[in-house]
Amino acid sequence: MKATRHKGKSWQNYKVAVTGINARAENPGPGCAVARCIQEHPQFKGSIIGLGYDALDAGLYARHLCNNSYLIPYPSEGEEALLYRLSQIHRAEGLDAIIPCLDSELQNFARLKSELQLMGISMLIPTRDQFNLRAKNHLSTFCESIDVHAPESKALSNPSFFESCEKEGWKYPLIVKGLFYDAYVVHSAFEAKTVFAKLVSTWGYPVLVQKLVIGDELNLAAVGDGKGNMLGAVTMRKKALTEKGKAWAGVSIVDEGLTKVAERIVAGLNWRGPLEVEVIKGYDGKIYLIEINPRFPSWIYLSHAVGRNLPVAVLKLLSGVAELELSEPTSGTFFIRHAQELIVTLPEFETVLTEGRLAPQMVQDQIIRSA
Amino acid sequence: MNNDTKKLVWEPPFIQPHRMGEINKFGRARLHDNSKSSVYGVSVVELLRRFGSPLFVTSEKQIRTNLRNTKKAFERRYGSVVHGWSYKTNYISAVCNIMHQEGSWAEVVSAFEYEKARALGVPASKIIFNGPNKPKFILERAIAEGAQIHVDHLDELQLIESIAKDQDKVVAVVLRLNFDTGYTEPWSRFGFNIESGQAHQATKMIALSSHLNLTGLHSHIGTFILEPRAYAEQVRIMCKFMRELESNEDFCIDTIDIGGGFASQNALQSVYLPPEQVVPPINEYADAICTALLEGTQYRRQIGRELPRLIFESGRAIIDDAQSLICTVVGTKRLLDGRRAAILDAGTNLLFTAYWYNHQVHTTKASEGTVADTVLYGPLCMNIDVMRHSVQLPPLSQGDNLVFSPVGAYNNTQWMQFIEYRPNVVLVHENGECSVIRMCEDLSVMMQQDRLPEHLSMPFPDTSAMARMINSGTIARRS
Amino acid sequence: MEELLSRTGGKVPSRERLSQLAVSETGFIFDPQTGQSFSVNPTGLVVLDLLKRGSTLDVASSSLADRCGTPAEIASSSVEAFILQLGRYL
Repeated sequence: MKATRHKGKSWQNYKVAVTGINARAENPGPGCAVARCIQEHPQFKGSIIGLGYDALDAGLYARHLCNNSYLIPYPSEGEEALLYRLSQIHRAEGLDAIIPCLDSELQNFARLKSELQLMGISMLIPTRDQFNLRAKNHLSTFCESIDVHAPESKALSNPSFFESCEKEGWKYPLIVKGLFYDAYVVHSAFEAKTVFAKLVSTWGYPVLVQKLVIGDELNLAAVGDGKGNMLGAVTMRKKALTEKGKAWAGVSIVDEGLTKVAERIVAGLNWRGPLEVEVIKGYDGKIYLIEINPRFPSWIYLSHAVGRNLPVAVLKLLSGVAELELSEPTSGTFFIRHAQELIVTLPEFETVLTEGRLAPQMVQDQIIRSA
Repeated sequence: MNNDTKKLVWEPPFIQPHRMGEINKFGRARLHDNSKSSVYGVSVVELLRRFGSPLFVTSEKQIRTNLRNTKKAFERRYGSVVHGWSYKTNYISAVCNIMHQEGSWAEVVSAFEYEKARALGVPASKIIFNGPNKPKFILERAIAEGAQIHVDHLDELQLIESIAKDQDKVVAVVLRLNFDTGYTEPWSRFGFNIESGQAHQATKMIALSSHLNLTGLHSHIGTFILEPRAYAEQVRIMCKFMRELESNEDFCIDTIDIGGGFASQNALQSVYLPPEQVVPPINEYADAICTALLEGTQYRRQIGRELPRLIFESGRAIIDDAQSLICTVVGTKRLLDGRRAAILDAGTNLLFTAYWYNHQVHTTKASEGTVADTVLYGPLCMNIDVMRHSVQLPPLSQGDNLVFSPVGAYNNTQWMQFIEYRPNVVLVHENGECSVIRMCEDLSVMMQQDRLPEHLSMPFPDTSAMARMINSGTIARRS
Repeated sequence: MEELLSRTGGKVPSRERLSQLAVSETGFIFDPQTGQSFSVNPTGLVVLDLLKRGSTLDVASSSLADRCGTPAEIASSSVEAFILQLGRYL
């Protein structure tokens, strides 16, 4: 491990590891989109290492996105297990940077920041405090502190709330959310309790309940520099949703109100790293903050399409480039998400299964063949 | 595969089908070797040789360090602080006396616990008497001896008043409150509810009585609370109540008892992330509590009244990591779904908390072989006797030892005597010496409380004698 | 193996069926007939390899016993259990 190996190395030649490369059609992780942004940047000559959590994570085999890939321990195993595995991968690959793309793993990475830095791996990620302040169960307090509207929400540890909540002003439909992921609209106490049990078994306590606000759903992706500045916001309005409420189609827009709210958030937290701000623009014209996600969204490829490649901006910030060369925000660029089949050979599948990685020689073969 | 000469580690041949959607060789990969040949500085082999298996091992040093650090966190921020040792968390005599030597009072919740604290030599004035069931005889004793009584319900308040009358005393009482902090589900079954007015009603009764005096407020918001702000809210609500009370009635509150419930470094089964990431350091709890308390009692300083004494009753956070359980593998299996399984000589009879927590499991020697998903069963003939439903371990064999930790909270009190003898509990002294602090049970302990009626004294009595007894009507004929 | 079949009544895979399996040195097995894949542990790999190459049950058991230094009876009963397990999956 060469501590200063990447010093002075230009971002164009970085070896960047990206997580969250699962790509289930109905709810893809952001990792493949992040990798695609970087790979398609004309100046990028480095390579991307995909870090997956399951042998069926498509990014593991998507060689046009990830030049090589590995499996890593589940976030619930804690940071020591992660560090141990990352050290193995680093010895084989010599990483320069990691872009973590999942909420549940961010605390692990935040706690390993200095160890990884010593190994020569840098990350643009929030601190534990920043991460906690924007967590779903603290969000309403934070919103008050920066004077941003938020739908009323409550942390629950007992589903009996759903029996009596209408009396207390919590009228159905309500939104019920897991601590890290998943949100469901529920219309009755029965439905709410079923969802509650499902969320507890996956994400544990507490479960969050939020009042439903009617309006347009807008999402903004940006990068915070850690000094209170927001860089390069890209805003999207969802045009069609999957069953899970994820964007199936969307269009870039420019909404000054939302941009101002996002700036207040980034300044209020001194946010460092990528983030996604999810809001509802109510029919009353007010902007209600729904969620702050501490990572890029899975629609981040739109940022490349509108000339504001945010994953590359992260690499530039990490290598100390001052000029991010982001174009002016534009509206009217659409995206439609589509699924397609990735071909995986038996030997590829086998090495992922038995060794938790793609075999290097096969990666070589692939590069030669595609050259 | 023609290299037939290479030696292989024996393991029964086994084939495992892959299930899509849960394949990750490294997903639950544990570290290279996390075996642990000693606990609290003493060799596991040596401990088992001297004291047998299974074995609870307790560290005096760890208890004292935990307690000192926790108390310091509160004292630095607030000043006058009392720790009440929650007996129910672990009431092994030696454990209690370590706490008392460090200055902790006894927090007891039953007649037995009260009697035990007194028997250990704790003065009644340093006993906090809590809990929903305090029979008359023990209340009489506690009142006569001057213990600090925390009232749970109205009937109890009336009983205390009548005893006070009989003893011609004015009894100082502390009122247990419950209310909604917005962070945890309120434990409304204990104490008097603030929002509904029950608590005010109780204070009125006390104000009208010439034998009762209200001197303190107590509440306990739950257990394994991961959110320090819940305590800040608890203290704010209690202080608001105190202020109203002191301005309306002639009370002077000298005690605020915030209960316990701080989390330990243990993995609750319902929490996704590992404990080191979700359990706040004790300083964060102390910060939240003391800041709110200093704010909430500001008004007393302005009128020149002393600040109330802060009592906290932390149990789990003090004792949990000061105890480990060593046990032995009695046999291994392959389950039909392909997972490995081991049967241990310790189960949920000893580690009752295994129902809610995923305790850490360490092997005691570095082992060869691939680490794999393993189920750990206890010795009971009960399907729910599972110590870990899923843990990554190297292949185990009969006679191997495992160490479970942290286990100090609620096991030596909630363990059950079901079909097995309970084992030795030992203490590692500060100087490294070890001694038994609770003897293992044997047949005489198990049968000591049994009484056999005369006609049941023999399991298989002489049949002719039995016939005579039936004919003479000494034993009823079976219909 | 026919003897095992009549003794236990369990399903025992034929040698032809076993020879269809793609078995890699890492213990990864692919069954081209069903598309199912498996992992086999190192001792299982030795046995499977021997059976595929035509060894009898007795030869496979004793050669496994030799390689592991395990009593012959234990090896032989484990190998039988392994074959019955294969029968359930194939």
